[in-house]
Amino acid sequence: MQGSETKGKTPSRASKLFRSAMDAALVPFLAIFTALVIGGVIIWLAGGNPIQAYVGLFQGAFGSPKAISETAVWATPYIFAGLAVALAFKGGLFNIGAEGQLALGAVAAAWVGYALPGMLGITIPAIIHIPLAIGMGILFGAIWAAIPGALKAYTGAHEVINTIMMNYIALNTVSYLLNGPMKDNSPTNVIARTPEIAVTARMPAIFSDLRVHWGFVLALIVAWLVWYLLWKTTLGFEIRTVGSNPDAAKYAGMNVKRLIILTMAFSGGLAGLAGAIEVVGLNYRHELGFSIGYGFDAIAIALLGRSHPLGVVLAAILFGGMRNGATRMQFLTQIPVDVISVIQALILLFVAADEIIRYIYRIKQKEERLVLTRGWGG
Amino acid sequence: MKKIFAVFALLLIVAMALPACAPAAADCKSADVLCVGLVTDVGKIDDKSFNQSAWEGVKQAEKDLGAKVQYIETTDAKDYAKNISTFADEGYDAIVTVGFALGEATVAAAKQYPNVKFVGVDQFQTETIANLTGLNFPEDQAGFLVGALAAQMSATKKIGAVCGTDAVPPVWRFGEGYKAGAAYIDPAVEVNVVYHSDVGFDKTFVDPEWGAATANSMMDKGVDTIFGCGGKTGNGAVTAAAQAGKFAIGVDSDQYLTLPEAAPRMLSSAMKLITPGVAGLLKSAKEGTFPGGNFTGLAGYAPYHDLDSQVPAEVKAKMEEIQTALQNGSLQTGVSPAKP
Repeated sequence: MQGSETKGKTPSRASKLFRSAMDAALVPFLAIFTALVIGGVIIWLAGGNPIQAYVGLFQGAFGSPKAISETAVWATPYIFAGLAVALAFKGGLFNIGAEGQLALGAVAAAWVGYALPGMLGITIPAIIHIPLAIGMGILFGAIWAAIPGALKAYTGAHEVINTIMMNYIALNTVSYLLNGPMKDNSPTNVIARTPEIAVTARMPAIFSDLRVHWGFVLALIVAWLVWYLLWKTTLGFEIRTVGSNPDAAKYAGMNVKRLIILTMAFSGGLAGLAGAIEVVGLNYRHELGFSIGYGFDAIAIALLGRSHPLGVVLAAILFGGMRNGATRMQFLTQIPVDVISVIQALILLFVAADEIIRYIYRIKQKEERLVLTRGWGG
Repeated sequence: MKKIFAVFALLLIVAMALPACAPAAADCKSADVLCVGLVTDVGKIDDKSFNQSAWEGVKQAEKDLGAKVQYIETTDAKDYAKNISTFADEGYDAIVTVGFALGEATVAAAKQYPNVKFVGVDQFQTETIANLTGLNFPEDQAGFLVGALAAQMSATKKIGAVCGTDAVPPVWRFGEGYKAGAAYIDPAVEVNVVYHSDVGFDKTFVDPEWGAATANSMMDKGVDTIFGCGGKTGNGAVTAAAQAGKFAIGVDSDQYLTLPEAAPRMLSSAMKLITPGVAGLLKSAKEGTFPGGNFTGLAGYAPYHDLDSQVPAEVKAKMEEIQTALQNGSLQTGVSPAKP
């Protein structure tokens, strides 16, 4: 802080930006800190050594090139899915359906990966095959989210209810597909999973001995694109206007119905991309045990990141790091990995109910309140 | 505001300094220390089923071989490889992976870490890798044991089994072993084994309603002991039998512990003895006689629990006699490995 103030009497633009970023980050930062302290007490009550546990967590998340690579592997789908939820928030919509959109995106990408070359009877070159698989994942996620979007726009049916219901349909459909028509039929297999995707549909790793893949880089690029869309384009302005005041948007001549559907489609596309990237970049197939709960973690990530793409990236790296570091924490201390879920839930609680944090740390309300979604039928 | 930042700066410095005082890792890299790690499938270590049984085998090695033991619970299937390599990179000597789902990751790890011994529980090996042993079980013997028990305990001399599809070899071995065991006691006992082969793979193991309906129709015909072998389908049958006050027999692990709704009438379960299997393989790993390829463990039957007082002493003695005979090879089930 001192450094930026010495630059001149009138604070520079960079300094102002830094200050507003610090203000925005204060509550999430304190929420994380408070959650870790309470988590430490829980670990201690469970008979563990909190310091040893957190050291293990940190080492496992960032302690070696391999650890950092694995954190990036975890953060990749979290960034996409977090952006999905954040973008919907900006449009005044609460997309709880990321979980289902993600699963459908994964299955669609897997299908393009393993079945399409055989159906066409050709080998698809990687330069077409990889984007095609990812694109199909985006498309399915987008369509799946656009349905509750259209229901909201034309009937006023609340998207919270409808995206949850669409989750059930999507997840059970995926379960059926993986157990039935799309099941890997190799003779020794008993798991609900698709066959492996063709080599041409696999995204290369960045380093030969680490699992981190180009999907992570793509995630950062997409985060920048979402930022650009929201703050540098007319469409983004319209989305944000509908988000903060749909009546004003309507009187300003914006097509609110179209914007709601479009926002949901963008959001679902990002969630589908999260699923597709897991298939194309990491797992090379979809399996029922993959990606459980990412769509729900994404809500926490979007909230923690204050629905800003940069915040989402940082929150995703934090959550990815915690999920990844949990393995080493358990290895060193034998504390159940569920502790991590408790800490994540506490972070979410403190971010959502930020009055608690403001009260504990005596922070005055400065910025405008975070509006996530409008009331019922709004 | 400033004060808060000062506090935070201090905390951050403390946090950064923490890794420096990390506890010294146990010396698994040293050749004298035997270290054994276990990786669960997506499930908990205390699942009262495969993961827990395998972990008890590892704990046995801790006691008998003085091994240092540790486990990692997997929360997402994509972490199998990472969790296995967490142990391998720390210099662990043996790693146990539990369940079919970890099969591919275990094979890959065995090739990557040739100096580490791997035990894959319920993972059938199609190629022999010297440092990887798939621990599999003679399901036909387990089925034989509970078939013999059912034949002795049935008052109506009519027993039944409700199973998943017989296209899956272990299910076939359970069901046919059950028939053989009953016939061994008394060829006159009427045995109804029904496989749920009329539906697809997606349905055959997850159809408790069909299982219950099949069990009920058997009981209508006088069957008073039912063996459920086939995931939730079998559980449905066993629960229906228990609710009707008949004898129920579980499968794989001691289902008295995992299926509370059927527990009061749970006579026994056809068990894969994972604990001694894992402990035995870890012992051979230490002694340098690790087999590699596939290793067939032992089959058994679960304790009678609540029904212990209803089982006559001569039946208990007979069961122990049969188990011994099966284990030392003097008694064969005569069941082919898969449906011909």
